[in-house]
Amino acid sequence: MNMANMMSFIKPELLVFNDLILKSSAPYLWVLLGIVFAIILSVLNKINKKWFVFIFMLIFACLGVRSAFRLMNEPAVLLFNQMLISDSFGSFFNILFLGSAIITALSSFRYLDKQEIQHPEYYILLLLSSLGMMLMASALDLIVLFIALEIMSLAVYVLVGFRRHDRKSNEAALKYFILGSVASVMFLYGAALLYGVTATTQIREILKHVQTSQGAMSPLFVVGVGLILFGFLFKVACVPLHMWMPDVYEGAPTPITGFMTAGLKAAAFAAFIRVFTTLGYGTALSAQLQNHFHDLLWVFAVATMVVGNLVALLQTNLKRMLAYSSIAHSGYLLVGILSGCLNQEGYAPLLVYLMAYVVMNLGAFAVLSFLASRDDTGLSLYDLSGLSKRHPVFSFCLAVFLFSMAGLPPTVGFVGKYWLFYSAVQAGEISLVVISVLCSAVSVYYYLRVLVYVYMQDEVSSFGEQRSLSIFYHFAVGLMVICTLQWGLMPSSLLQIAKKVVMSF
Amino acid sequence: MAWFNSHLLTNVVFFPLLWAGLGFLIPVGKQHEAGFIKFWTFVGTVITFMFSVVLYIQFDPNVFEFQFIEFVPWIAEIGVSYHFGIDGISLWLILLTTFLSPIVILSSFSAIGHRLREYYFLLLVLESGMLGAFVSLDLFLFYVFWEVMLVPMYFLIGIWGGKERIYAALKFFLFTVVGSLLMLVAIFYLAYLHKIQFGVYSTSILDLYRVRTLANGILSPQALLFLAFALAFAVKVPMFPLHTWLPDAHVQAPTAGSVILAGVLLKMGGYGFIRFAFPLFPEAVRIFQGAFLILGTTAVLYGAWVSMVQPDIKKLVAYSSVSHMGFVIIGLFSLNSISVTGSIYQMLNHGISTGGLFLLVGILYERRHTREIKDFGGITRVMPLFSVAFMITALSSIALPGTNGFIGEFLILLGTWKEHSILAGVSALCVIFGAIYMLWAFQRMMFGPIKNKENETLKDLNFREIVVIVPIIICIFFMGIFPNFFFNKMNASVQKFLSQAGESSTIVYKSIPPQEVKRAQQ
Repeated sequence: MNMANMMSFIKPELLVFNDLILKSSAPYLWVLLGIVFAIILSVLNKINKKWFVFIFMLIFACLGVRSAFRLMNEPAVLLFNQMLISDSFGSFFNILFLGSAIITALSSFRYLDKQEIQHPEYYILLLLSSLGMMLMASALDLIVLFIALEIMSLAVYVLVGFRRHDRKSNEAALKYFILGSVASVMFLYGAALLYGVTATTQIREILKHVQTSQGAMSPLFVVGVGLILFGFLFKVACVPLHMWMPDVYEGAPTPITGFMTAGLKAAAFAAFIRVFTTLGYGTALSAQLQNHFHDLLWVFAVATMVVGNLVALLQTNLKRMLAYSSIAHSGYLLVGILSGCLNQEGYAPLLVYLMAYVVMNLGAFAVLSFLASRDDTGLSLYDLSGLSKRHPVFSFCLAVFLFSMAGLPPTVGFVGKYWLFYSAVQAGEISLVVISVLCSAVSVYYYLRVLVYVYMQDEVSSFGEQRSLSIFYHFAVGLMVICTLQWGLMPSSLLQIAKKVVMSF
Repeated sequence: MAWFNSHLLTNVVFFPLLWAGLGFLIPVGKQHEAGFIKFWTFVGTVITFMFSVVLYIQFDPNVFEFQFIEFVPWIAEIGVSYHFGIDGISLWLILLTTFLSPIVILSSFSAIGHRLREYYFLLLVLESGMLGAFVSLDLFLFYVFWEVMLVPMYFLIGIWGGKERIYAALKFFLFTVVGSLLMLVAIFYLAYLHKIQFGVYSTSILDLYRVRTLANGILSPQALLFLAFALAFAVKVPMFPLHTWLPDAHVQAPTAGSVILAGVLLKMGGYGFIRFAFPLFPEAVRIFQGAFLILGTTAVLYGAWVSMVQPDIKKLVAYSSVSHMGFVIIGLFSLNSISVTGSIYQMLNHGISTGGLFLLVGILYERRHTREIKDFGGITRVMPLFSVAFMITALSSIALPGTNGFIGEFLILLGTWKEHSILAGVSALCVIFGAIYMLWAFQRMMFGPIKNKENETLKDLNFREIVVIVPIIICIFFMGIFPNFFFNKMNASVQKFLSQAGESSTIVYKSIPPQEVKRAQQ
């Protein structure tokens, strides 16, 4: 495509905002507006920055959630020269990302006070990375996707290193930055190769190109798609691309770890689904591509589940244990990716599991943020001894989240796993399901071990320090517990939404 | 009241849970808390028992189908429904559960000293879970109750148990979860087959009974599905090579936990075979019949032998459970109406007599804080009432004629004799071993001189303990003398079960002939 073509491609009328575009891009605009406002507020000296920025961030995130809710039932709209799409799939994920940002902010507020790192930038970066995630889930162009990925990643790199007086946090940020950059480069290189083959970066155009020309499924194309795949798999920490994760999760401030396990992973999976279904993964079109990647993903999924669960068995730090368990959950989610294209529910079970995973993880990390003492210590299993006597309510909530992660009824984790594996059986992946189920049996052990310390061990006297309770912790944890149990007992509405969202594709 | 009558099962199942929630929330001053929560929980379980008696009264013994059906779609997207219903088999297991619950609550009044609210809360939740599993007619719902049951038990063992409680609690939980997760995969596959064969999602077993699966060899789909289900239930029963969690869990659990574990949770395994594994996979049962019969007999032998050498009385009773539940497996897999009836009866017996033994051991432990047989001796002199109660319960466990145990074991052996006479013969020998270990332990503990000074001051049963043990003893004799009272409500369901699972015997009895029952009573 030469320059003149390019120029004719950009039509002036596309740069005009009409009502429809304004309405469809409302969630992004609210968040953007929130970021701008918060930046302005954070440089004003006369006000109590911490409260103002915090509350502004919450308000704008809530406004974003509200407009995303309104868009759930609207037909899909292409935005900005087909670079973005606003459909219910995107709205579903926008709600999920902004929701995780809100819960993270709530569980951060007192935590930051405790760590003495209460800076307004924290909330701005949180909102910024959510914006990146939102764009990732809605991008239809590889360049936009890359930019979104970078917006998200850069903000998160800074957040990971936010406890800057702690060497662990510094190490985590640097490690994450370097390795994350490698992943971004892989993704970018893959996009470049695809551009080389098809002369476009628009995903739908790439698909058209593949459909029309015979030789499109060239080795170059497969390598390009493969590199993009690796970029995603790095972000979701699949074995063997998981090495960065435990250190980063341990070094990051605890609420940010929660945000990363929830939002980051959901964003990567959303973009994954968006790109690969649009590229024809799972449709008859690219059976060739699919066969290549099916086996690859199968191996990845099994390795991720097995390694994640087995290594988690050995951890004595709760944060590190949840990091490995989050690797294991990536494995279950890959089962959903594998079976999504082969059964009639499509990716709906994957979305439900993702939702379940986000809810229970955010809840667990909110409890952890509350428990963490200064310098983020006090999160080893030993420190939790006798917790149920000191904090019965929080212990109960932690138990609910852990049972949900272990996939025991009546929690949303069970419903998610049930539907996910059920759909995988329908897709004919029985051996994979047997492996996953055995892996989750292993996982029961390390989740229960936490409860052994919380409920069955005697209290350790030296940890009687006063923790600053705040209404925000209660709100965040309470909301997540309600979601976990509500969707565990009455999951119909969630399943219906997921089905509808997938239909919108 | 109309609502109460039309939703009887929901009421029975969820009443303990509701009551537990209320009890947990009602604020009571510190000084009255212990008394209040004990009283509250006891009343709750008694009310549940009354509900289940209403169930018994309204139950029609002549109906072959499930009764008291409640059906509400729950998760329509995956065909899951809230589907309750009982037949003559689950009726008795429900009654067993609601009967044992007030007894164990009463028995733990003095045994449990800390975290009372949580303790009684968990016991009530456990009761709800067990009742739910017995009435569920939907595999998803059953699985939910099946797993929910584990959680309170895990905490009961882990918080209020003995020295090795944490190890025992984890072992108990993991064994059961690993077994049941493979069952979950089998449920997926079965529901998927239903979807293929009938075009709609459903996990209701009444629908799944219609699913036909290929059964030609031990690696055919039906055989594998059966094995997945059987593994879950065999762990729970527990069958011979999978029993190792049981002695640990039983010994470490508080008395109430042991009684519930022996009395009801083990029955869950047998019930699972009857309700799910057999009718869903009748051809596969044939394939594995021999193997399971041999494993059952091994369990009977092994349990009896290992019991003989136990120095710890609670462990002895625990291993005797392995032996008794081996009989249940033999009876079920013999697949004729006599042995199956015997098996179901044996499950009830085992709940009563082994539950009773655990209660008595618990009473003794509260006084002496030891369970070693060698620490006792001459207890008859100081605790005459206790010794009598122990004697009766032990004899029922040995299966002395006139007690309940005899009817069960006799029917099982009689039914098995027709086709598998060698196995029946071996198992019959084990009854003798049973008498040896039980009577020998009884002799060492109760008779002879009082060797240990501390035993001289032991107090006999107090009023509360008598109230705990008397219903058990009444049950032992009642079930031993009037078995037809129980068979009457069971027969139709047993016939239906056999028609689904396919009888193996060429001699088909429509019900147990009266002369057999009479012979059993003599």
